[in-house]
Amino acid sequence: MKLNVNGKTAEDSVPPETPLLWVLREEVGLTGTKFGCGKALCGACTVHVDGLPKRSCVTAVGAVADKPILTIEGLASDTALHPVQQAWVEENVPQCGYCQAGQIMTCVALLKVKPKPTDTEIDDAMSANLCRCGTYPRIRKAVHRAAAALERSKDGPR
Amino acid sequence: MDLSRRGFLQGAGALSLAVTLGCGSKGAARIRHADQTGELAANLYITVKPDGRIALIVNKAEIGQGVSTGYTTLVAEELGVPLDQVDFTFAGADPAMRVSFNVQITGGSTSTKEGFQILRHAAASAREMLVAAAAATWNVPASECTVAGDRMLHVVSKREAGYGELTKFAAHQAVPGKPKLKPVKEFTLIGKTNRRVDGRAKVDDCAVYGIDVKVPGMVHATMIHGPTYGARPDVISADAARKRPGVIDIFAIKAGVAVVAENYWQAIAAAREVSVTWKQGATVGLDTEKLRAAMRDYDDEDGIATRESGNAGKALGNAATKVSAIYEAPYLAHAPLEPQNCTVSVTGGKAEVWAPTQSPTLVQAFVAHAIGGEADNVVVNTTLSGGGFGRRAGPDVCAQAAAIAKRVKRPVNLIWSREIDMTQAFYRPSYAVKLEGGLAADGHPTALRANCISQSIAMSSCEMMGMVLPGISRVLKSMVVDSMLAMFSSNSIGDLFAIEGLKDTPYQIANARLVATPVATKLPVATWRSVDNSVTGFAAEGFIDELAVAARQDPLAYRRKLVKDDSRQARVLDAEIAIAMTAEILAAVRATTGASLRTRPTIHGPR
Repeated sequence: MKLNVNGKTAEDSVPPETPLLWVLREEVGLTGTKFGCGKALCGACTVHVDGLPKRSCVTAVGAVADKPILTIEGLASDTALHPVQQAWVEENVPQCGYCQAGQIMTCVALLKVKPKPTDTEIDDAMSANLCRCGTYPRIRKAVHRAAAALERSKDGPR
Repeated sequence: MDLSRRGFLQGAGALSLAVTLGCGSKGAARIRHADQTGELAANLYITVKPDGRIALIVNKAEIGQGVSTGYTTLVAEELGVPLDQVDFTFAGADPAMRVSFNVQITGGSTSTKEGFQILRHAAASAREMLVAAAAATWNVPASECTVAGDRMLHVVSKREAGYGELTKFAAHQAVPGKPKLKPVKEFTLIGKTNRRVDGRAKVDDCAVYGIDVKVPGMVHATMIHGPTYGARPDVISADAARKRPGVIDIFAIKAGVAVVAENYWQAIAAAREVSVTWKQGATVGLDTEKLRAAMRDYDDEDGIATRESGNAGKALGNAATKVSAIYEAPYLAHAPLEPQNCTVSVTGGKAEVWAPTQSPTLVQAFVAHAIGGEADNVVVNTTLSGGGFGRRAGPDVCAQAAAIAKRVKRPVNLIWSREIDMTQAFYRPSYAVKLEGGLAADGHPTALRANCISQSIAMSSCEMMGMVLPGISRVLKSMVVDSMLAMFSSNSIGDLFAIEGLKDTPYQIANARLVATPVATKLPVATWRSVDNSVTGFAAEGFIDELAVAARQDPLAYRRKLVKDDSRQARVLDAEIAIAMTAEILAAVRATTGASLRTRPTIHGPR
């Protein structure tokens, strides 16, 4: 089966019911997407399918063949981090860091539909991504910072 | 502490294998070799490279607490370089790096306390060797050489050189016995809020956790454990599972049943089709509600008095008002977000391990035990950890991975499911904290009696190790138990009997009797983030609130009267009172004028 991951075509030969998470990690070789619970409860495995955030640990790979899949590895350009990643660095968000790929992917999806989210909207969209270290206050700050950066980049040259 | 170069060389095997993280070129992990020519391998911890960069070996686990940033800061401060001039790697198992409790372990809030001296000394030592090199090269007295940032200056002759230009000469200088540390008043990095040195690597795929390790020829495994702690597999029915695609083998090891496949999902899918009958473990019949009832039943007299001042019984008898309460807390798993995992390659009596671990020493010992080899023949590569909270000091998953790798004769990456992680935890004990307070007519507390009823972590350790690894050698058992006991007797963990945080309460109550009542169950308990404080803090602060309510007094002001005036606690409470008052004033202004004041309360005071 052919997969479209981060704009590139990847081949795999696993059964279609295999969770996308393990195909990404073991077949495609992209380990930035993390395994946390295997039950869609923690959000560490969040990727985008067709632009929408999906829990890859419960998404059968057969259901997403030929659909564009974006993982944390596909966010940055060759020369610069994505504004959301940059905001995360500047706000010192990660502690252990394990959940952050999922947090960032969820944030990128949020800012596409809500370019200027309120605190409540951030909490509504992000609170199902668990952070065992408790970085939530800095995540919220980083979402605001990323929103502002994306707004600026729209207004003029970066 | 051994900072000698001999010590460094002894550790070199582990160093060259240390797993690192970094994004020098996009996404490429860097492996640093410490034995290249031209470097100043100043000591166990610090190497100055010919390009002027500083290589730091961190002998603690980065579990999110920020130790890599902390240690980098200490070294950068002492050497006068920016944080990003320091590259850090994590130490493998190295006897010379056993600075805590005679094991290499991250726990007991020891990292910064230890590193604050060790790493500043290590860096100062490197700096003095560079100074000596400059003096020798320029043929001037060392006292005339000054350091500015990472440049060495001889002002009189207007000569200067960068650290990197001096490394190969510095390597020939004597190792200073007592290097002079930078005075505290000259600190520019320590005590400031700096950007985390591992932050950049953790916003994409640069950071390599244990679960991300890839070894050539590696296969994947999961475990099936019994329904009770310490259960042993009896009969395994796995015919259908064995026929599934990718399955390599399914077999019993001491702790349960291992399912090995070419990839992880194949192992997980096959494990669902395996049925096992179990020889029940020692926790069979353990019942949360019965245990809870039993714990509530214990009396003051059942326990061990750990602090006694005045006469609490008499003062309670004379009190104008009496308040009593029981605070209860459940068993808790550490549940770090990265499930327990370990990768092991076994060749004969030797093994190489890649693990997110808080104790490379214990990994070495447990893996050696599992494969029937010697600890010295186990190389440990410490990876980043997706959280730890104390759980990764217990290397049971590494022992399992080693036993599996030995059997299948291929490198094995064992990942526990979340369900296993929760059910095979070393739990924070459950507690019943019984409290009685007596108040004088003016509401002032004159008596406090507390009884902390719970499993004692230190007392359970020995038994726990026996349960997890039956047949474990006495040497290994005593190593684990000794380290546990040493942690508890260190200044960071209060005592053996689960009353840490209450015994040393800063609230001054004239008549106090604080009792610990250890309860025995077969469930393994261990140090869990903040250890006993997670319960005793909740109980103590909750109860003070209850006393304040009974005294009809503001709980903040009530607390302030109970702590010593010149204490840290008094400063914290004063700051909190100031914030509360500001918030109250702002609310009042808003209520009366409708104005929205865009000011935030600020805290002024000594830092």
